[in-house]
Amino acid sequence: MKRHFIPLLLLLASAAFAAAGTGSQKSSGDDRGVLRAIAAAPPETREWQNPYEGQPNAIAAGKKLFLQHCAECHGDDARGRGRAANLRSPGVQNATPGELVWFLRNGNLWRGMPSWSGLPIERRWQLVTYLKSLH
Amino acid sequence: MLVLFAAIAAPAAAQDTPYVVAYSHHMEEPESLEIEYFSNYATQKAGHDFIAPWVEFEYGATAWWTTEFYVDSQTTFNQSTLFTGTRWENRFRPLMKDHWINPVLYVEFENTNGADKTMKEVVGFDNQFDHAEPNSDTRHEHDHEIETKLILSSDFKGWNISENFIAEKNLGHEPWEFGYAVGVSRPLRLAATPQPCNFCWENFAVGAEMYGGLGTASSLTLSGTSHYFAPLVSWQMPNALRWTLSPGFGLNDNSHRFILRWGLAYEISGFGHKLRNLFR
Repeated sequence: MKRHFIPLLLLLASAAFAAAGTGSQKSSGDDRGVLRAIAAAPPETREWQNPYEGQPNAIAAGKKLFLQHCAECHGDDARGRGRAANLRSPGVQNATPGELVWFLRNGNLWRGMPSWSGLPIERRWQLVTYLKSLH
Repeated sequence: MLVLFAAIAAPAAAQDTPYVVAYSHHMEEPESLEIEYFSNYATQKAGHDFIAPWVEFEYGATAWWTTEFYVDSQTTFNQSTLFTGTRWENRFRPLMKDHWINPVLYVEFENTNGADKTMKEVVGFDNQFDHAEPNSDTRHEHDHEIETKLILSSDFKGWNISENFIAEKNLGHEPWEFGYAVGVSRPLRLAATPQPCNFCWENFAVGAEMYGGLGTASSLTLSGTSHYFAPLVSWQMPNALRWTLSPGFGLNDNSHRFILRWGLAYEISGFGHKLRNLFR
C-alpha cells in the first residue's frame, strides 16, 4: 500500500491542478456566465433592500473586503482578469443589490466562483455597496 | 521551495471557521494554497505528556473540491521525537448552491504509524491509554486507514454550526469505527470596519467544538469511548496569517484531561494560477 501512495498522490495532485486550470478556462472572460448565474437568483431577491446603500463607511469597508477577498481574481480595479468577470460591466451593475448579495452567498461553483457564505451577510452587503459605487 | 513560495506569494484573507477538529462547508478558494502548522499538547494520565505537531497543505482544486496533504509528527517527553506519517484528504461539495444545511463529502487516506498522536479525529474506542504505550513499540505498528465523513454545515445570522459524522476503516481487517465532531463559531463583529485594522473585533472569531468516539460497527456504543469539549479563538492577522488557540478538556476517564491546540495558517491566493504562469 505504501509504495502506491506517493504515485497516487502525485497523480491526484496533478488532477487537482488540471481541474483548477480547466475551471479557469471555463470562466475566462466569461461575463455571460456570471450574468446567467445572477439571473438564476430567485425573484424575491430583487426586492431585498441593501441596509448600507450609498453609505460612505460601507463603501470603504466594502472596498477593504474586496481587496482582501476578490481582487486576486477580479483585479484591484474590478475590471476582471481573464478568468474572472468584469464587475464594472453593465450586466453586473444592472443587477439589483439583492441579486448580487444572493450571488455572493451561492457563488457559481461549477465555473470557479466560490461561495462567500462564510462571510456574514453584513459584510456581503458592504461588498455589494462597494460594487455598486463603481458604477 | 521557499524561493518558489516567495516568488508567487500573494497573501489574502480567507473565510475560514476557527475549528481544529470539526469541518464546515466552507472550502478553500479555487487555486489558493493554505499552509498550516498545528500542534497539540496533551497531558497523559498514565505515561508521559506529549506534543504532536502537524503541517497541512490545503489547496482549492476547484470551488467545490478541496484537497489537503498532512505530515504528522510527535514528541513524547522523556522518550523521543518522530515522524508519524502522512494523510491525504479530499472534500467535495455535491450541491452547487448554498442551502440551510450544506453537505460536504470527505474522504481521507491515512498512512501513519501507531505512534501518531495528532488526534485530528476521535473514533471507535480511541482513548488516552492508547497514547501511554512507548514510542519504541508503537512506531513499528503501521496503519493504513480510510476515513470518511459526512459534513453538514449551516450559517445563520453570523453563526456557523457544523456537524460531522465520521466512519473510519483500518484496511487491516478491522471493523468500521465511528465518531462525531460538532462545532459552533461566530466572528466577534459581523460588519467590517472601514479602516484596515489588526486588533479590531471583526478579525476575531470564537467558538467551541465537541468530539468523540461512537464505538464500532460491531459495538455501537458510548461506553468505553472518549469525548472532548474545546473552546476556540482565532485571529485573522495582517498579511494573511491566521492564529488559532483551543484549550480542550476531556469529558470522561477515557479522555486526556487536557489538550491545548494551537496553529498558524498562511494563505497564498491564486497559487495554482501563478505556479502555471511560472512554467509558461
